[in-house]
Amino acid sequence: MTTMVSADTLDISFPEVDYLALAPLLIVFGAACVGILLEAFLPRTRRYSAQLVLSVVGLVAALVTIVMNVGEDRPAFAMSDGSRVDAIVIDGPGLFLMGAIVAMGVIAVLLIAERRVSAGGAFVAHAAVAADSKADAAQARHPGATEVFPLTMFAIGGMMLFCVAGDLLTMFIALEAFSLPLYLLCGLARRRRLLSQEAAMKYFLLGAFASAFFIYGVALLYGYAGSVQLVDINAAIAASGNSQVLLLSGLAMLAVGLLFKAAAVPFHVWTPDVYTGAPTPVTALMAACTKVAAIGGLLRVFNVAFGNSGNPGGPSLAWDWRPILIAIAIATMVIGAILAVTQTDIKRLLAYSSIANAGYLLVGVIALGQALGATLFYLVAYGFTVLAAFAVVTLVRDSQGEATHLSRWAGLAKRSPRFAVIFTLLMLAFAGIPLTSGFAAKFAVFSSALEAGQTSLVIVGVLSSVILAFPYLKVVVLLWLSQPVEDAPAVSMPGFMTGTAVTVGVVFTVLLGLAPQVLLNIVDGAGQFLAK
Amino acid sequence: MELYGPIVVLFAIALAFAIISVVGARLAGPRRFNRAKNEAYECGIEPTPTGPGGGKFPIKFYLTAMLFIVFDIEIIFLYPWAVAFDSLGLFGFVEMVLFIATVFIAYTYVWRRGGLDWD
Amino acid sequence: MTPTYYLVLAAALFTIGAVGVLVRRNAIVVFMCVELMLNAANLTLVTFSRINGTLDGQIMSFFVMVVAAAEVVIGLAIIMSIYRSRRSASVDDANLLKY
Repeated sequence: MTTMVSADTLDISFPEVDYLALAPLLIVFGAACVGILLEAFLPRTRRYSAQLVLSVVGLVAALVTIVMNVGEDRPAFAMSDGSRVDAIVIDGPGLFLMGAIVAMGVIAVLLIAERRVSAGGAFVAHAAVAADSKADAAQARHPGATEVFPLTMFAIGGMMLFCVAGDLLTMFIALEAFSLPLYLLCGLARRRRLLSQEAAMKYFLLGAFASAFFIYGVALLYGYAGSVQLVDINAAIAASGNSQVLLLSGLAMLAVGLLFKAAAVPFHVWTPDVYTGAPTPVTALMAACTKVAAIGGLLRVFNVAFGNSGNPGGPSLAWDWRPILIAIAIATMVIGAILAVTQTDIKRLLAYSSIANAGYLLVGVIALGQALGATLFYLVAYGFTVLAAFAVVTLVRDSQGEATHLSRWAGLAKRSPRFAVIFTLLMLAFAGIPLTSGFAAKFAVFSSALEAGQTSLVIVGVLSSVILAFPYLKVVVLLWLSQPVEDAPAVSMPGFMTGTAVTVGVVFTVLLGLAPQVLLNIVDGAGQFLAK
Repeated sequence: MELYGPIVVLFAIALAFAIISVVGARLAGPRRFNRAKNEAYECGIEPTPTGPGGGKFPIKFYLTAMLFIVFDIEIIFLYPWAVAFDSLGLFGFVEMVLFIATVFIAYTYVWRRGGLDWD
Repeated sequence: MTPTYYLVLAAALFTIGAVGVLVRRNAIVVFMCVELMLNAANLTLVTFSRINGTLDGQIMSFFVMVVAAAEVVIGLAIIMSIYRSRRSASVDDANLLKY
């Protein structure tokens, strides 16, 4: 009974809240909450347009506030006595990552909202109705559920928070905030619902498994450092007084959780199944935005907590984790590239390509501060290209819905050359052919990794990207040179929204290839993570 | 060890109360059975028909249980606030109101979309 | 009672949960094992909170509990929808499912 503290002896000081710094997050989460209220109170027919306007306006407003924050690196909460509260840290790379997620998020929302290409959109009207039942056939006539908009907004908000979280607990909450809506979104496909539900369940079980590792790692690091703030962990490593067992096992567990979301080998097994089973707009969202968030989180954790950017010259933990991460990066690049060669389904092919690209991004993570700008550039270049690629995938349809099997794509150039030109351009960008964004991005990452002394990684990276070029070129050959199959799928005329997504993706792919310096200047100007 | 004394006493009293209630009701109460009394007690609603060996439950039970879990656990955040309510003052109060408002948004959605109706 | 015992217990629980996820095939049981892992993390957090003499760990365990509850709701919804579609109470019957 003596341990109880009476309430009036507590001396609690409150942090100063920097609302401008929080504005992007508040707007996106606020828009998601308003979206739920719209679902509750608007009549069914008015929901779709209201939700679409709300989501796009919310994201654009968030983008504006992100730009307003540029130039001033600071934590969003400040204590009057000067002690650190790093729950949310607004700094150059963090703002850039948030901006990238929001910009790609707008495109993904447009894809999710598309209802012209297939009647009613890509999402099921009532997810609770059992698949393949009579009620399921009856509900095919209804337009898709509009709950996907608030879910998407929550996911995007969680990803933004994940990139600017300065302590591991906030990071865990953000991880769940973007994972949980994604699990649901994966299971909401209108067509092939059994596959979609199965994808959702696999993603959910494995994702929950990975996040359990993450939080156990956080607990061990809390035991090591007495705090979960990244800067405090870094300081504790520099002081090096405590048990290394706690530190290293905590770091390993934490890395499992992060690498799972980034789809690195050996934590990649969910990727092909989930990318294939999920509705294609959601796959686009995951391939572009989740990749940015996962790599952004990895970059911040390894730069701020486990690198030595906080105390240059001091002892660094990088010698301990680098060999393991190098092995993971090599495995990711090689296995992703080799398995991509054997794929016969375009969504599965893009999934393995996404795994291989996670490997190239890990090269940037391993090179730490020196490759930070190049990694950010890579994320944007890859994200816009993959968004456009999945947008095109939604357009190739036959009576069964999307025709994703590659054999169905044979000779499509004869029927719709414009589509074939666009998809060829995107494939060439993935393959890293010069004058496309893919080349500029790979060049930037590999050259800064060379500067950081990671020669072996760069050699493996270049070799694996040669392997990876093969499946892309195979698709191009298939499009242009093969004979069309008999009941070949048609390429739908894109509606306004899918058209915008494809156009923006192609424009970015070309512009970043022709004039990469514009964006490279921006990422260099973003500087480093706020470590001290 | 004397710290745990009251807890042991509490357990003893609770156990004694349970035994006395059950045994006392057996001994003192009249035994008249009818259909309503023989039914399983399910909080006043009609008992759910189940097949032999368990069988399937209406999905409504899962839905209600899920809604209960999620709203029940959210309340955990009120505990730390309630402990330090005096020192947290207006700042803490406003924060808590915002938190409850967010939970209330979810509640509104559940209510408007029929998640609380049994049929 | 040294707090280390609790850490060992938590590690054992975490391992049991992790092994359970890997060897069990029923989605509900797999999910229960994940919950066991989260609770092991909670026990670790509270123990370290005691060792370090700060309250942070206990507050963090609140957050983990809430996240676990949200995960339960999402997970059961997904698992339930798959059960209804397949009209079967066991994931083993689902031939499409290969972990």
